[in-house]
Amino acid sequence: MARIIVVTSGKGGVGKTTSAAAIATGLALRGNKTVVIDFDVGLRNLDLIMGCERRVVYDLVNVIQGEAGLNQAMIRDKRSDNLYILPASQTRDKDALTLEGVEQVLEKLSEDFDYIVCDSPAGIERGAQLAMYFADEAIVVTNPEVSSVRDSDRILGLLASKTRRAEQNQDPVIERLLITRYDPNRVDSGDMLNLEDIQEILAIKLIGLIPESEAVLRASNSGVPVTHDQDSDAGQAYSDTVARLLGDEKPLRFHLLQKRSFLSRIFGGGRR
Amino acid sequence: MSLKVDQTATAFTFKGGMLPMTVMELNSPDPERVSAQLAGKLSQSPAFFQHTPVVLSVEKLDDTSLALERLCAVCRSHKLLPVAVRGGSEGIKQSAWALGLGWFPPQESREARTLASVTPPAPQAPVLAEAGSGGRIFRGTVRSGQQISAAEGDLVVVGAVNAGAEVLAAGSVHVYGPLRGRALAGIHGDRECGIFCHELHAELLSVAGNYKRLEDIDPSLLNTTVQVRLRDDQLSIEALV
Repeated sequence: MARIIVVTSGKGGVGKTTSAAAIATGLALRGNKTVVIDFDVGLRNLDLIMGCERRVVYDLVNVIQGEAGLNQAMIRDKRSDNLYILPASQTRDKDALTLEGVEQVLEKLSEDFDYIVCDSPAGIERGAQLAMYFADEAIVVTNPEVSSVRDSDRILGLLASKTRRAEQNQDPVIERLLITRYDPNRVDSGDMLNLEDIQEILAIKLIGLIPESEAVLRASNSGVPVTHDQDSDAGQAYSDTVARLLGDEKPLRFHLLQKRSFLSRIFGGGRR
Repeated sequence: MSLKVDQTATAFTFKGGMLPMTVMELNSPDPERVSAQLAGKLSQSPAFFQHTPVVLSVEKLDDTSLALERLCAVCRSHKLLPVAVRGGSEGIKQSAWALGLGWFPPQESREARTLASVTPPAPQAPVLAEAGSGGRIFRGTVRSGQQISAAEGDLVVVGAVNAGAEVLAAGSVHVYGPLRGRALAGIHGDRECGIFCHELHAELLSVAGNYKRLEDIDPSLLNTTVQVRLRDDQLSIEALV
């Protein structure tokens, strides 16, 4: 039986797809057979982040509507044998997904995989609710700003009520907080919410903190999940996140203000 | 749908209203006993019995032995005006209608919402427990978009009420944590109840319909432990020490 993990946030643009790709990659790199599913029907992005956009033939909607088999739609990752991508449809809308269809796909995947990572669309409507409905765990991606925190709070309310586990009175969905785009300098200057404030409001366990990093944009544009870039702070932070997800204890990194040396201030140079 | 409606053309408009209403909860179906007790009450507080509208609640009764018509007559003779019946079987419902009275479903099956709000209450997580006196205890964080209410008695929240969340109660609202959302106490018009919280940062505070917005709250009281109650029709926020 696979663990089903939804990566969600409510708000758009906070890094759901980047995180879903990075975490799925990290899980696969550690030897887990993993599939990452794009639920953002109509705004397909995961294939770009994973660098497999030229290999998409069939998609999730085709599978649900019986037009293609799962094995035809799934794309094997170029870099890891353990990782598969199930892309979303770009031409349909979210009404093309049905609860029964999603359930069947997840059940089928559960037989073969260790982890199923669901990349949720933004918002709290049908697409987002379908992505979270069957989840065992949720990773709530939050930026250090008030609107993102409020939207995450809303999503946490839905996770506690609009999921199969909630409706069938099973153990609740395990909720974990992933803070992305964290910039200790801007936290220090008061432009950004700090880690403690976010945790205090959302009151769930922190699974990781990803610093604001040039490596993320570079990774997105080159179609290589940032987890592969182990020289970068963001890549290391995602690896830490995956390790914690798998039960390892890892101290938190990248959340403290780095005092820059005199020389680096003179010569500039951003963080890698 | 036109926005410009000629006001003179419509004879009336329907409006949702929330009026305080006395519920007469019957423990006995015997009109004689009811009459005797009413006579006693009448001598104690005659001011109350001025054609006061009442809802007859028959939920606690075994309704095969219920003489609704006689009960209504007893009420009227003591200057109480029965306007509706709550609970009872299909037979009770039919006879209420035949007597020109309204009928309400029994308390437990009714939606616990009297104050209409924009969002329907989210289905509850299994962290809810019923408090002893018809009130309600909620343990955990009340999140943005969630609405937690107690149709009777007090609401106790052991945790935070986040911005965008709403907590309401017929009685008082107690929040053992930060109150960042909206809190409404006395939603049926009870003016004696209040709001109590550990850390005040509420978007809205209301007791029996008298409200204050975050903007109206004295900034020195923010993030302190306070009680909110009605004093001379004014919402008063006082530090609790």
